Order: sequence, then structure tokens, then C-alpha cells
Amino acid sequence: MSSEPDGPEEYDRPRADAEAAPCGYTDYETKERTAEEVPATGEGAEGLEREVWAALYEVEDPEMPVSVVDLGLIYGLELDDGKATIDMTLTYSGCPAREIILEEVEEAAAGVDGVDDAEVRLVWAPDWSLDLVTEQGKEALREFGISVER
Amino acid sequence: MATTRTDLGSPEELSEREQRAVEAQLFRLADDEYIQAERYTFWQVRAPTLESDLAVANNAQDELGHARLWYDAIQMFGYTEESLLWESEPDDFQHSTLVELPFSEGDWADAIVRGYLYDVAEDVRLAALEDSSYEVIRNRTSRIQGEEDYHVELARSWLERMATDEEASERVQAALDRLYPYALTLFEPVGDVEADIEELGIRTASLDEMRGEWEERITAFLTDLGFEVPTDAEPATPTGRDNQHTDHWHDLHEEMVSAYRNLGRHEATKLMDDE
Repeated sequence: MSSEPDGPEEYDRPRADAEAAPCGYTDYETKERTAEEVPATGEGAEGLEREVWAALYEVEDPEMPVSVVDLGLIYGLELDDGKATIDMTLTYSGCPAREIILEEVEEAAAGVDGVDDAEVRLVWAPDWSLDLVTEQGKEALREFGISVER
Repeated sequence: MATTRTDLGSPEELSEREQRAVEAQLFRLADDEYIQAERYTFWQVRAPTLESDLAVANNAQDELGHARLWYDAIQMFGYTEESLLWESEPDDFQHSTLVELPFSEGDWADAIVRGYLYDVAEDVRLAALEDSSYEVIRNRTSRIQGEEDYHVELARSWLERMATDEEASERVQAALDRLYPYALTLFEPVGDVEADIEELGIRTASLDEMRGEWEERITAFLTDLGFEVPTDAEPATPTGRDNQHTDHWHDLHEEMVSAYRNLGRHEATKLMDDE
């Protein structure tokens, strides 16, 4: 054993990526939002933004016929020079359909005339709960047979 | 202690020292959850009732979801899923040895006791991360806490039921005696980085404080049910946190990466890839 503390004392998880360094990964929770600020539903949106919201409304949760917007999963939409950036969360951290949903949301936004590129950023704050489901969403859930009464 | 600590900011704003400490905290979270979930799969087809099959499967899915959240947070520093999991070596991992032990064949008490010891520790740990100075940890902790409550509840209700049966009680006591030293490794340090984790406010309780709280909680509950908690036990060695593991882990790791290796993969294929 060496005399320097680089034996078991020294913490270092071996890296398979020698060049690993903070990179352009875009999953950062960049924007602090309060519980009152979410969800975003596009209410009052106009022009291109309104069209993107309309496209997002068409995306349904893979397990129930309710729009991801009505489920209150969309936390923010920004349009900048033809690029749409959508912040969204999921109802459950272990959601097996994560990639499917994120991809569908991106495709929906990118499919709008005037949008060249769309990116979804997955965020985990504020917490999602049934309270974030819109009235329309609650109605859809009831029709589907899920009780949303507290 | 509600001291106001400087928020560490986003991943790319961390100093080298801060990143090292954040990573150290994240790795144990991710590895513990992931391996706990891997082991649960054994009981998914062997639990004593269909209800328990579901409960175990559900716990495993929760822990996998949480592991994914923590590994995602690690990937913000440039690591890839391939390097973290599929191209890893067994001694890259820092999970506690409690979660890597195979379950005793046919011993449901073993699964319940392990789940209980682990989930209470998880609860204590998450409480110490609620006010973390690192936002990514803070946000994810809050989300995970909401999904963990049921785990402790499930274990408690089984323990209460088993305590009323003599043979089941003996099995619970035996499992407790056997697993307790391994559970203590959950509170072992990974090295000198531990001081930084506390000093930087990444976690707001020390390992000793968390162990104390955990011991108090499980002792109060189990003693009440008539069990004896071996509180004078020493942590098992190796601890897992020191990158050293039991042979059981090497076997499980081999299984875990076998499909990736057998298929000659060099990247984790994603669902719905464009090409």
C-alpha cells in the first residue's frame, strides 16, 4: 500500500470517459419556478406560439387519452428564432414511456410551420400532482374512468 | 440547523472541489437504488401472494426510476450511460453491500427486513438532501420523496403481520441479525470527500447523524414488535462504499452487463431512435 492517501482513502470513481467534462447537455433545471407558475397551458397565446400549443395539445399520454397539456406536464414553452424549447415533467419518475413521450412532444412542436427545431427539457421541479391537471383534463380522466376527486 | 448556504448553481458552474463532492453524493444514491432494484427482480416471481408480486415489482420500478434520475444528474457532468453502467467494472460501483446480497432462498422475511432497513435509511437520507445546496439534487429529492412513502409502509405492515406468528418471527429475527451489519454500510463514508459534502451543504446531516436517526427509528418500531435490534454490531466489510464488494456483486454485475456485451454493443440503443 502506498503511503499517500490515494488508496481506499481517496475518493475517485474510475471514469470510462477520460475526457468527461460538463458538456452541452441540456437537461439542466435552469429556471426556478414556483408551484403557482405551473403548469403552462398556452392560455392567451397568440400567433405561432398559439399554433405550437395547439400541436402540443394533440400529444396524449400513452396510457390514457388525455393531452399532456391537460395533464399539466408542460411547465414552459419558449420560442426563439424558429426554435421551440419546451420544459416538461412526467407524472412518475419510473415512467417507462419517457422517451416515447418526449419524442412525440418534440415532433409535434417541430411539425408546426414556422418552427425549425424543437427541444424538450425534462424538469423535476416543482413537483407534479393531480392539482396540476386542468379542468378539461380532469373531465377527460373521469370519462376514462379515473377518479380525480380528493 | 437552518444555516443559509450558498447555492452551488448549475452543473457547469461548479468548481472542481464542488463537482467532486456532488458526484460522490450522487454515485451512492444512484448505485444504491439501481442495485436494490436489480435484486428485487428475484422476488417478483416468487413472492407469497400476487399482491406481493405486484408490490415488489412496483418497488423495483420506483427504484429504477429514481436510479435513472440520479444517473441523469451524473450525466450532466459528461458521463454517459454506457460508461456508468454497461461498460463499467464491478469495482466502479459504490453501493452499500446490503443491496447486492442475494436473497435467502425461500425466505420472504429476508426480503421484507432488507426492504425495511433500506427504505428507512433512504427516508432519512432524502430528508438530509431536501435543502441541499445543489439544486439538481434538491429538485429530484422532492420528487422522489413522494414516491417512497409507500415503501416503508409496505414493509411495516408485513413486519407487523409476521410478528404475530412464531415461525415468521424467528425468520424476521434471523434476517435482522444477518442483515444489520450490512445495513450499517449505508452510513459508511466513501473517503475524505465526505467532509466536503457536509461543508458545502450538499447534504445537511452527517453520516453519523443519519445513522443515529435511522437506528432510533428502526429500534423503536422493531422493539415494539418484540424483536431485538443488534445495535452493538459493527458495519460489515467490505462496505461497498470503498469500491470493494462481496463476490455476489461480481456475479450480479456479470449478469447485468451480459446482454450488452454478448450483443457486441458499444452504445445503449434508445427506444424510438431515428435511424
